Amino acid sequence: MKDARTVEPDVELIASLMAAGGADLKKCMQCSNCTCVCSLSTPEDDFPRRQILHAQWGLKDRLLTDVSPWLCHYCGDCTEHCPRQANPGEAMMALRRYLTGQYDWTGLSLLMYRSEAWAIGVLLAVSLVVVLLFTVPANFGFGLLSQAGPAARATVMLDKFAPKEIVHIGDTLLASLLGVLLLTNAARMFRIATRDTHIPLGVYLRHLPGFVVQGVTQKRWRECDAGDSFKNWLRHLILVTGYATIFLLVVVFLPWFQVQDHSFHWNSLLGYYASAALLGASAWMIGDRMAQSGEMHRFSQPSDWMFPGLLFVTALTGVLLNVCRLLDQAMPTYVLYVVHLAVAVPMLVVEVPFGKWAHLLYRPLAIYIAAVKKSALQTQ
Amino acid sequence: MSANSPNPVLIIGGGIAGLTAAVELADTGVEVVLVEKSASLGGRVARLHQYFPKLCPPTCGLEMHYRRVRENAGITVLTLAEVTGVTGSAGDYEVEVRVRPRFVSEACTLCGDCERVCPAERPDEFNYGLGTTKAAYLPHGVAYPAAYAIDRAACPEGCKACEEACKYQAIRLNAQTEVRTVKASAIVAATGWKPYDAAKLEHLGFGQCRNVVTNVMLERMAAADGPTAGRILRPSDGKEPRTVAFVQCAGSRDENHLPYCSAVCCTASLKHAAYIRALYPETAITIFYIDVRTPGRLEEFGAKVQHDADVRMVKGKVARVEENPATGDLLVTAEDVLANRKSTEHFELVVLATGIVPETEGLPAALKPDECGFAGKNGSPGIYAAGCVCRPAEVSATVQDATGTALKALQCANRSVSHVR
Ligand SMILES: Cc1cc2nc3c(=O)[nH]c(=O)nc-3n(C[C@H](O)[C@H](O)[C@H](O)COP(=O)(O)OP(=O)(O)OC[C@H]3O[C@@H](n4cnc5c(N)ncnc54)[C@H](O)[C@@H]3O)c2cc1C
Repeated sequence: MKDARTVEPDVELIASLMAAGGADLKKCMQCSNCTCVCSLSTPEDDFPRRQILHAQWGLKDRLLTDVSPWLCHYCGDCTEHCPRQANPGEAMMALRRYLTGQYDWTGLSLLMYRSEAWAIGVLLAVSLVVVLLFTVPANFGFGLLSQAGPAARATVMLDKFAPKEIVHIGDTLLASLLGVLLLTNAARMFRIATRDTHIPLGVYLRHLPGFVVQGVTQKRWRECDAGDSFKNWLRHLILVTGYATIFLLVVVFLPWFQVQDHSFHWNSLLGYYASAALLGASAWMIGDRMAQSGEMHRFSQPSDWMFPGLLFVTALTGVLLNVCRLLDQAMPTYVLYVVHLAVAVPMLVVEVPFGKWAHLLYRPLAIYIAAVKKSALQTQ
Repeated sequence: MSANSPNPVLIIGGGIAGLTAAVELADTGVEVVLVEKSASLGGRVARLHQYFPKLCPPTCGLEMHYRRVRENAGITVLTLAEVTGVTGSAGDYEVEVRVRPRFVSEACTLCGDCERVCPAERPDEFNYGLGTTKAAYLPHGVAYPAAYAIDRAACPEGCKACEEACKYQAIRLNAQTEVRTVKASAIVAATGWKPYDAAKLEHLGFGQCRNVVTNVMLERMAAADGPTAGRILRPSDGKEPRTVAFVQCAGSRDENHLPYCSAVCCTASLKHAAYIRALYPETAITIFYIDVRTPGRLEEFGAKVQHDADVRMVKGKVARVEENPATGDLLVTAEDVLANRKSTEHFELVVLATGIVPETEGLPAALKPDECGFAGKNGSPGIYAAGCVCRPAEVSATVQDATGTALKALQCANRSVSHVR
């Protein structure tokens, strides 16, 4: 047996995946109806049948190098038509959760997917840090307010309460930290996924523009011919633009965005767009999940609620904060300011490098990896 | 009921299961009443071109049974008849049977004059809607009783053409439905099966793509007395197909349709492949399957057909069938799972291997259906079920099942007259 190969199955794999949401995985009888009803599954990057087989057989290595779970947008056609109710759509979702954990070198992601207690614990801990930052040091936050005297209590003076130079430094530090974490995780994803393929530099360069376009537009999603894929894509696009806008405002343009007094400012308009987009899109997502409308929303893990839920609260407190500011309600403005950050910061810390939001980089990267791998194989 | 002879055993359904139970019971001396809903005995088997595994014509088995029915005075056959009520208990049931008129008496000589003069047409249900028959029709080539029947629902107002044309005065268009009460010691329900409704398989194109047919339709096309006189022709253009795809598990083993395996479709499709390969040696066959299930002694038959290089077996369920409107050809999407290759291929004809659905309409209430809809074997002490209404099976297994059930019915009949319990 010259070509014989020993495969070491990972016997724990199936249990991990079942815990991550793929509870019906074992029911699959490998008929491949799922792969064939899926309009995004191609001969080169086929899913979900093959991944479910690898999961059933404990072929962890094959799953790790496979980026196709990120090519699935969970329209649910596969689950709807599955003859065994093995729920392939949810199996792909479970794989994405599992892979997020595998890419993350800190191990936090895995811990949080495995245990709700960990996820909530980390959220609360970060939240507490934020609150303490504003309340404890004598020369900062409320302490500062008392020093600022009755003027800042009587009328909104945000810069007295939370000086924008300091907040801006904090913002930038946080964004850099999360950015580094996310990028290193993405780099690991990249390394793992391409380790079995030799890819010439030219191929990498050739596909770079596609990577950017996909990242911005999620264009590939439009190839999905399922009933409500347009709705889902549009909602996602609204969310992404809102998210990107607020990110730029807070991280880059904070000095212009955080306005000091309670009058109207033209530069707030972008903030209004972002608030409306985030509020609307997250409420819409929560609504669909509650109504279990469409396959995509029939099964929800705690981490699925966390994403739109925290986003909604963040956007809502942001809007309320602004209302209070315009009404010149000093104390409510300050309290909401702290609450707003105490929700937004932990959400970002948990979701961006370790959780669901990592897909903002993983998805376009997966499309890129799939494209360069395909090119590399063709040129060989 | 006299002390020595029990009431007759009543059998519902004159397919291969009901016929077998009837002749085996009658051979023991017990009287039998055989109630058949359609105009002829024979059931689904009469619609097969050939039986697997021996590929003999259905006339073989049926003729033998018919002869035994004919020769045994203890069997009363009621066609166009249905059971409408059962009262009483084991040994002493009273069964209400509604017998619709045939409008043609035993004097019929099969001369066919009535059919020739008949101006009206009706969908040919026997041929699964492939074509039509006249309102005056012969049920099929191996009909029992061998007599014409008239479908009055299809007759034009006031038309008496057939009555006037019949030289033997065999036709009485004013005959009426009759309700009879039959005494029975035991009841055997053998109402059989019907094919799964292919129109429910939206992605497989039946009813939308002209050249998508079902396995039972193919069976009729292959039959010499069928709608295409034994040739396999595409419905869209009457062309003999050069490439044929079989889609296995069209509805079966699918929780959205039939959660169970229909047991015969794999062997049936292999048989159909053999029909086509024998007729058209140029025609290539592809069979898309989840698993090839040819259990027991059918394994050998299956292996023989699969040995043919032009019968390609592809492991993978077909998810989509679409039509190229210009050519009528079909685009079949499936993954060859063993090669890990998803593809869309062209075929000139697609056959859906639709499964077996139990025919439980008109079944005595005592026979409670199981979670898949099949009748339980034993309802109450004197009411039994046999054949495909209990489980999907091929003819030989059906015959064995019916023979065993006949014994149960016989025991019940005998108990009703014996003092020894
Ligand atoms: C595509 C296909 C091909 C097949 N090919 C083969 C083959 O080659 N070889 C093989 O061994 N098997 C084959 N089979 C299986 C075979 O058809 C069955 O085993 C057989 O028909 C079972 O006989 P049955 O008497 O149980 O049912 P049926 O043949 O369905 O007979 C039932 C009878 O009961 C009557 N009836 C129904 N309801 C009532 C009622 N309420 N009152 C009175 N009468 C009623 C019906 O009119 C019918 O006459 C095939 C099956 C399929 C689907």
